[in-house]
Amino acid sequence: MRVLLIEDEDHLRTQLRDRLKTEGHVVDMAADGEEGLYAGMEYPADIAVIDLGLPKLSGIEVIKRLRSAEKRFPILILTARGRWQDKVEGLEAGADDYLVKPFEVEELLARLRALQRRAAGWTQATLQCGPILLDTSAQTVRVDNQPVDLTSYEYRVLEYLILHSGEVVSKTTLTEHLYEQDYDRDSNVIEVFIGRLRRKLDPDNTLNPIETVRGRGYRFVLERGS
Amino acid sequence: MQSLNLRLTLAASLVLSIFLGLAGWALDRAYRASAETAVREHLQAAIYGLLAAADMDRQGNLSRPEGLPEERFQRPGSGLYASVINAEGESIWQSPSQLGHQLPLPSQLPSGEWSYLRQASESGGELFVLSFGSAWELGKRSLQFTFSVSEDTAAYNAQVARFRRSLLGWFAALALGLLVAQGLVLRWGLSPLRRVERDLAAVESGSQEALTGSYPRELRGLTDNLNALVKTERARLTRYRDALADLAHSLKTPLAVLRGADKQNDKAQSLEQLVKEQTERMSQIVDYQLQRAATSGRTTLMTHVAIAPLLQRILNSLAKVYAESQLTLSLEVAEDVLFRADASDLMELSGNLLDNACKWAKQQVKVSAHIETEGNNQTLLLTIEDDGPGIAPEQRAAVLTRGVRIDSSVPGQGIGLAVARDITAAYGGKIIIDTSPTLGGAQFQASLCSV
Repeated sequence: MRVLLIEDEDHLRTQLRDRLKTEGHVVDMAADGEEGLYAGMEYPADIAVIDLGLPKLSGIEVIKRLRSAEKRFPILILTARGRWQDKVEGLEAGADDYLVKPFEVEELLARLRALQRRAAGWTQATLQCGPILLDTSAQTVRVDNQPVDLTSYEYRVLEYLILHSGEVVSKTTLTEHLYEQDYDRDSNVIEVFIGRLRRKLDPDNTLNPIETVRGRGYRFVLERGS
Repeated sequence: MQSLNLRLTLAASLVLSIFLGLAGWALDRAYRASAETAVREHLQAAIYGLLAAADMDRQGNLSRPEGLPEERFQRPGSGLYASVINAEGESIWQSPSQLGHQLPLPSQLPSGEWSYLRQASESGGELFVLSFGSAWELGKRSLQFTFSVSEDTAAYNAQVARFRRSLLGWFAALALGLLVAQGLVLRWGLSPLRRVERDLAAVESGSQEALTGSYPRELRGLTDNLNALVKTERARLTRYRDALADLAHSLKTPLAVLRGADKQNDKAQSLEQLVKEQTERMSQIVDYQLQRAATSGRTTLMTHVAIAPLLQRILNSLAKVYAESQLTLSLEVAEDVLFRADASDLMELSGNLLDNACKWAKQQVKVSAHIETEGNNQTLLLTIEDDGPGIAPEQRAAVLTRGVRIDSSVPGQGIGLAVARDITAAYGGKIIIDTSPTLGGAQFQASLCSV
């Protein structure tokens, strides 16, 4: 997913960016509130991580302005002071979760995954669509209870499609929201990935979980639930 | 304007000078009017005297008025003059006092009419001139005469000047007296303020604990609040100092562990694991001590906090954070429950307890609060229940200190409950852990007292 990271502490920001990239996320960064607000308005973020104590424009203010501009993506706040006052203010401003510094990056990643899932309307860590079962915490996929071996990029494409199931997801959206280091954005490699994913999920061609919408993109069509 | 004294002095002096000025002006006016009326009446009496003394002979000539009523008409240069003119405007008689004085002739007046005016005299002075037209019947003839009496204004002016001098003298004395009185009143009235200032300086320099003098009622609110502030400030200072000492002290254990890590031969625990554990511990210590320093506890400066909205805000926040668990969070607090406390203390306390309940609850968390009043003392009872696994009786005491005991080295334990316990202690209360009678999980009852 595409993460907007607004954090003024350089060390923590780069550390988080590197980790998020390793996890296959696309990261937009900002070091102060104004820059962060601009990035939040301009780039199609799936989720935002916002520090409360930002220079120029406070984190609370950034959140309020993003929300009043109808930006609906989940927001996780980072706060150095563990005071409930701060947490409550942040959540009231429109954030969805908080994390008190210092924190484990693993914890942050887990929270981000959960928020992303919640935003798509899933309350469980496992997403079940017909025979396909995606475990977001273990990042594994099973079809008919048989484990399917996916590369991390394939997994992320599938997760993204399932979280946006029913919607048409264009190739551009996929490249904008999922990071792949060796991936040349201009080529049609995405088609190759989708093709591979289809073969792995549905070797007999009976399920057809991913539909191609001509000229527009792909759509995950299986209904939720088993 | 920075000085109260200056303000009051200036305002009172302004009022005083306006008052004295207006009073002087009015008195002067009234005095002059009455003096001039007296002059006029005098002149009128003189004219009547002349009319009575004058007589007409058969040829229609006015006989010289003899035996004049005023001695001053006889004395030359006395300042009081009389003259009579006939219908042709010729002077037919002048009082002996006019000898050597050239006075302007009065103008003709119809019979029965009076004229009063001030006129410049040839000597550069001024005259009050009263004239009266009179007709004398002589057979069928009627003869017109105008009687005129004038008096030099010198006497009148001297009288007015005398009055003014004495008025000025009195008013100056009065103003001086009032200013002195005002100064004394101000000094006396503001002396408690000076005393407060002195006492405050003494408190500041440390030679005095609080403002102990007896102050007037109007100042008591101020001094009481100042005392409360001083006390709160002092308590805060002590708290910070203690927290700092505790912080430094408790950081030493993990630091010692880390320092000794390189010499550690025991490879059961990797260095990475050790650093992680100890830094986490240090972070917790910092959080806890900061929290303790921030807890304000009972002070006299606190306002009433509405409990229900505060708890509702926390529940709303927790509902977001624990959206995944789909908990039912219920609030059972009357809208009018108010409690004197620091709002952020209450928020910290209920936030930590509720967060803990949400962490363990399966489906339900319930919070209720009510106030028990006993004489002047009020106790807020905050009860938080969940339907989680509950806490075994033998663990209950330890739960409230976990994560913060100097010797505890179990990482990953929150400090929330220890913070909650410290906050209740700061309010002279405690936390009692029990089993929830309705939900079956843990029940935390925090009591806070206010005075």
